[in-house]
Amino acid sequence: MNRTGPPAVELDGVTRHYGETTAVEDLSLAVREGEFFTLVGPSGCGKTTTLRLIAGFEDPTQGEVRFGGTSVTGVPPEDRDVGVVFQNYALFPHMTVGENIAYGLSFTDPPGGGSAEARVQELLELVDLGGMADRDPDTLSGGQQQRVAMARALAPGPDVLLLDEPMSALDAKLRERLRVQVREIQQELGITTIYVTHDQEEALAVSDRVAVMRDGTPEQVAPPRTIYREPATEFVATFVGDNNVLSGAVTAVRSTDAADADSGQTIADVTVDSATLSVALGADSDPTSAVSPGDRLTFCVRPERLAVDADRNPLTATVTSAEFLGETTRVHLDWEGRELLLRAEDPPTDTVAVGFAPTDAHIVDRRS
Amino acid sequence: MARDHDGDAKGAGSDHSEKATETAGSPSRKRGRTVRDTIERRAIVGLAVATIALLLGIFYYPVATVFIDSVLVDGRWTGRVFISILQDQFYFGEPARFLAGEPIASVIEGVLSPDRRLGVIGFTAYQAALSTVASVALGLPAAYLLARYEFPGRRTLRSLTILPFVLPSIMVGVGFVATFGQNGTLNAVLGALGLGEVKLLFTLEAVVIAHAFYNAPLVARVTTAAWESVDASAVETARSLGASPFRAFRDVVAPQLYPSVLMGAALTFVFTFSTFPIVLALGGFRLATVEVFVYRLIRDLEYAEAAALALIELGISLGLLYAYLRYEAKHTVRSRGIRPLPRRPLRPPSLSVRELLPRMGLAVYALVALAVFIAPIASMLVASFSGPEGLTLANYQFLIDRQTTGASFQVQPWDAVRNSLLFGVASLAVALPMGVVVAVLTTRDYRGRKLVDAVAMAPLAVSGIVVGLGLLRGLVFGVEVGGSRFAVGGGLAIVAAHAVAGYPFVVRTVAPGLESIDHTLVESARALGAPRARALLDIELPLVWPAVIAGAAFAFAISIGEFSATIVLASGTNQFTMPIAIERFIGRRLGPATAMGVVLLVVTSASFLLIDRLGGDDVGF
Amino acid sequence: MDRRSFLTAAGATVSVSFAGCAGLGGSDGASTEASNTDESTATGTSTGDAGGADETLVVGTYSAFVDSPSTSPGAWVKQRFEEEFDARLIWQTPSNEVNHYIERRNAGVDIEADMYLGLNTDHLVRVDENLDDGLFADVGDVAGQDDIKPGLQFDPDGRAIPYDTGYISLVFDGTATTAPETFDGLLAEEHAGDLITQNPASSATGRAFLLHTIKQFGPDGYLDYWSDLQDNDVRVLGSWSDAYSAWSGGEAPMVVSYSTDQVFADQNDANMEKHQIRFLNDQGYANPEGMAVFDGADTPDLAREFMGFLLRPEIQGEIAVRNVQFPATDSAELPEDYAKLAQEPPEPVTFGYDELKGSVSGWISDWERQFASN
Repeated sequence: MNRTGPPAVELDGVTRHYGETTAVEDLSLAVREGEFFTLVGPSGCGKTTTLRLIAGFEDPTQGEVRFGGTSVTGVPPEDRDVGVVFQNYALFPHMTVGENIAYGLSFTDPPGGGSAEARVQELLELVDLGGMADRDPDTLSGGQQQRVAMARALAPGPDVLLLDEPMSALDAKLRERLRVQVREIQQELGITTIYVTHDQEEALAVSDRVAVMRDGTPEQVAPPRTIYREPATEFVATFVGDNNVLSGAVTAVRSTDAADADSGQTIADVTVDSATLSVALGADSDPTSAVSPGDRLTFCVRPERLAVDADRNPLTATVTSAEFLGETTRVHLDWEGRELLLRAEDPPTDTVAVGFAPTDAHIVDRRS
Repeated sequence: MARDHDGDAKGAGSDHSEKATETAGSPSRKRGRTVRDTIERRAIVGLAVATIALLLGIFYYPVATVFIDSVLVDGRWTGRVFISILQDQFYFGEPARFLAGEPIASVIEGVLSPDRRLGVIGFTAYQAALSTVASVALGLPAAYLLARYEFPGRRTLRSLTILPFVLPSIMVGVGFVATFGQNGTLNAVLGALGLGEVKLLFTLEAVVIAHAFYNAPLVARVTTAAWESVDASAVETARSLGASPFRAFRDVVAPQLYPSVLMGAALTFVFTFSTFPIVLALGGFRLATVEVFVYRLIRDLEYAEAAALALIELGISLGLLYAYLRYEAKHTVRSRGIRPLPRRPLRPPSLSVRELLPRMGLAVYALVALAVFIAPIASMLVASFSGPEGLTLANYQFLIDRQTTGASFQVQPWDAVRNSLLFGVASLAVALPMGVVVAVLTTRDYRGRKLVDAVAMAPLAVSGIVVGLGLLRGLVFGVEVGGSRFAVGGGLAIVAAHAVAGYPFVVRTVAPGLESIDHTLVESARALGAPRARALLDIELPLVWPAVIAGAAFAFAISIGEFSATIVLASGTNQFTMPIAIERFIGRRLGPATAMGVVLLVVTSASFLLIDRLGGDDVGF
Repeated sequence: MDRRSFLTAAGATVSVSFAGCAGLGGSDGASTEASNTDESTATGTSTGDAGGADETLVVGTYSAFVDSPSTSPGAWVKQRFEEEFDARLIWQTPSNEVNHYIERRNAGVDIEADMYLGLNTDHLVRVDENLDDGLFADVGDVAGQDDIKPGLQFDPDGRAIPYDTGYISLVFDGTATTAPETFDGLLAEEHAGDLITQNPASSATGRAFLLHTIKQFGPDGYLDYWSDLQDNDVRVLGSWSDAYSAWSGGEAPMVVSYSTDQVFADQNDANMEKHQIRFLNDQGYANPEGMAVFDGADTPDLAREFMGFLLRPEIQGEIAVRNVQFPATDSAELPEDYAKLAQEPPEPVTFGYDELKGSVSGWISDWERQFASN
């Protein structure tokens, strides 16, 4: 990955209004060369608009989009060297699969200098559709259509691949298989890819980095693991994966000694309803923003980090329901009127005491 | 909606793009800018500019030279001409009294009284509304037959439905007198059946039927196309959910037909609102419409009143079109990759009530259609072979004689045929790109686009007499620039005028199609490197091809039937067309004119069969 | 081509015309003329034979004079005139006839014709009501003027002189009815729905019939007469051909038309019984057709020679026969049997210029408002 040059795609203070409504607000992002970058968020968060701004289907009301450090303001989509795959694939219904893939080659020479036919064959094989060139798009399954759309977008050898919810119309199993394939193809070609999805699981599975969008602005831009483990905001914490979010007032802040189980941590005691819970503030917590008693802390604990019969931060809860997911079971608990989620292999019944280590809590908000 | 950048930013844009590509590390493979490439990039803007220039030069400017007379009287700006028309009960009926300042109560009393006056404008609207209802009533069963049943000759029948459109009123007059007259075919048949006789001629009914003769085919054609675009799977889904065939029709099919039916209705109203010769030929002066008075006033050079009246007429027509366009914009059904409903055989597969009932309905309709459409045309044929002594070829002999021995300043039949076809093809070649470009411009999202759309339809709605005078003043007389006078006339001007008259049909048939195309198809093409014009040519137009062909057929028909602009612009007999030849061949005997009329029928039939065949296997219209 | 039309008035006139571009040059002998007509900027038809002619005369007229499906005098007149005068004659047939020249004059565009043939009284009224400076020159010295029947002269200012006349009468199918002898007879119950006439605004015969009723009942009485006529189901159709074809189809047994109807019937071997003429009140409304030289014509002298030519006895006779009208002169040489078929009314009536001027538009407009009142 080329991390020294300018970002492959960069949005700088981009705003896009539609009349009164704002789709994207002062958005700044930088996508690195060769990166698989995902925009994830609920519908209406501006992720698709962002993609359309990058493709050149729309112009920013304010701000600038840059490709390789150069502004592309006013550059029409056909001159941006982008490949686009839409949610509905948008295959040309009056052309065969082969003609669809070859269409982009009427405006540019095939990368590598071969013939257009050879390029079409190459791409059909890349997406495992060899021999389908003469089929009509509407005779293909959804997954096949999706791969044709990929092949078509890739045929002219674009610099950037833009994928707009390309899997959302497919069933779960196929989606999982295809996303692996998409990732493999992306890795193989080393192509900068910007992927839009509302499916956070998909986002975490394939991306180098993820931007979680909300109301036209990114809440957090980070690699999947960071997004999952250290969500920057309560929104990210709950949007990406299951989470238990709790908040309360800090009653005490204390350091632990080396002998302690939470060795080297600064611990805050937080009163949540009737319970007082210990939350690790992190080893490198910024002294200037140090938590002090009286502050209000919001933190989250992943369901899989809640342990049954744990002695740390014990919470006695009632089981309300359980969903068997195969590998684990998602258990819905009621703790003093709050819903808590628990992942367990052997789901408890009736009443259960759950707890978590202070270091398994992640603070998403602090207000003094 | 995506905004496009075919304009000025183009050159700069491509530079940026290439630089971007280089910095990104891979050398650009984009082909160098060729001439063709440049043309493709500027095609839409270029065509749009050319279209606007043509419309301004051939239509809006000439027409404005006439309309201005309504507000510029003796060198002074005034609104009094309009005011006096609006306050004139003769034109505006009871409402005019209100506009003239009479108390509202007495006006309402007047409106409610049995001897209320509609005024010429009110009556014109009334007969246009009746004609619209009749055209829809006669057009829909034809659409049902053509869209839902399979029978030998279906495609030919569909191609020929456009024929009435091109027939000069004199031909229709001859056909109608022979069919609906006192001694006409209809009365002969009724008499033979012992049903007594009807007196239809010189009544409002005759005028309404003649208007239906002209316009029901229009309704039928546009509705057939919409019906053929209904996705079978939607109907099947409705049926599977327990809907009866009737409910499936009402809930799934009908909503997709409304926009087309309304378009046919709106156009019918506009055409019949400005009806002229046919009203006087079949109804008489008692039923005079606005256009009759516009014509009279222009002939008597009373331009101020004529222009004001024609403007009011135009305003009403455009208002209606605007209302329709607003409706159309809200009711476009987005569809893609459709599977049309399968056609049923006309011969009933079983003798059940469900199979027989609709076919019996169609049989009844066939009888009506026979009387309204077939009999008048057949009567024209018979008239062309008739003389005082019975059947004769003398009328056709006349055409041959005129061709071989006529003086050069007399209209020659073959030249007229050739000119009509040449002008038709040439104006089609102009009207198609014009119509497509305007359709593209009016399907983009911007404030007031429906207003632009309505104004672009003006050539359908402006009085033909006003257009003729405008062309004379604006083009034939020319404009004086720096001591030289620039005048326009002749073949190319005729082609341009025909294109302007016909292009709105292309817009109206193509625009809804373009609007219903999934915009991601175009965006995909753009992202793959296609300039806007190529995306239009490669993706959008092939997908709405039936609509393009339909628009083409109408544009061609308009050109073939056009009279008032042609006769003004023709620089000599050698540019006269078939309708002008028919007009010139009207003499004491109508035989020669009807023979020429039959030539027109045959030539246009052949043309439409050809146009529809070009449309591919099963085009929509 | 008559170049002169480009070299007049203030500065040159550049004409952009595209006839040739559309591949519309004639395919036969007319091809040279096609280019002629191209340059004359779209005045309808204007054509002439190229020859070694010295002078060119451009004559504006109505299209039926040169091009009608039965007979028309245009070609014959042109041939005879060109043979004798070594000049070229170009017929010009603008679609809106005299109005075309009024429009040109109003717009300040030069008139390429030298004279107009086919003027009637209300044309002249219209010209004078709409142009301050007039359109036509004084008739001047034209040979044969003295032979014109005195009753036909319709221009008191001496610009237009008649070359033929028609009489408007009823034509009726004698097998279906017998037309009444008087206007009042048309109101009889037995003739309810029997008469078809034409819109006075768009048809010369319709206008003549309306004017005849005004002549008969006076400007104060004609509307009452028409009210009765309307009650008796008179049909007013748009054009002469609308009316004539409806009449031919048997819709009504009487139609307002020309008193020369039998000439055509004879040409077509029709049953004369079905083509009977009736002069109401023994009167026929005369519609004399005149000719005049345009003010500022290029060849006014040639135009006057042409007018004199048309008034010659043998030419008058031939025009009358070919135009199916009556000669304007007493000296015309008509074929023997012509008078048998073409009937002249015992008493010709017509409105003169002075009577029509200032009144005719009002009369027609009042009639329209009464007749079409909805």
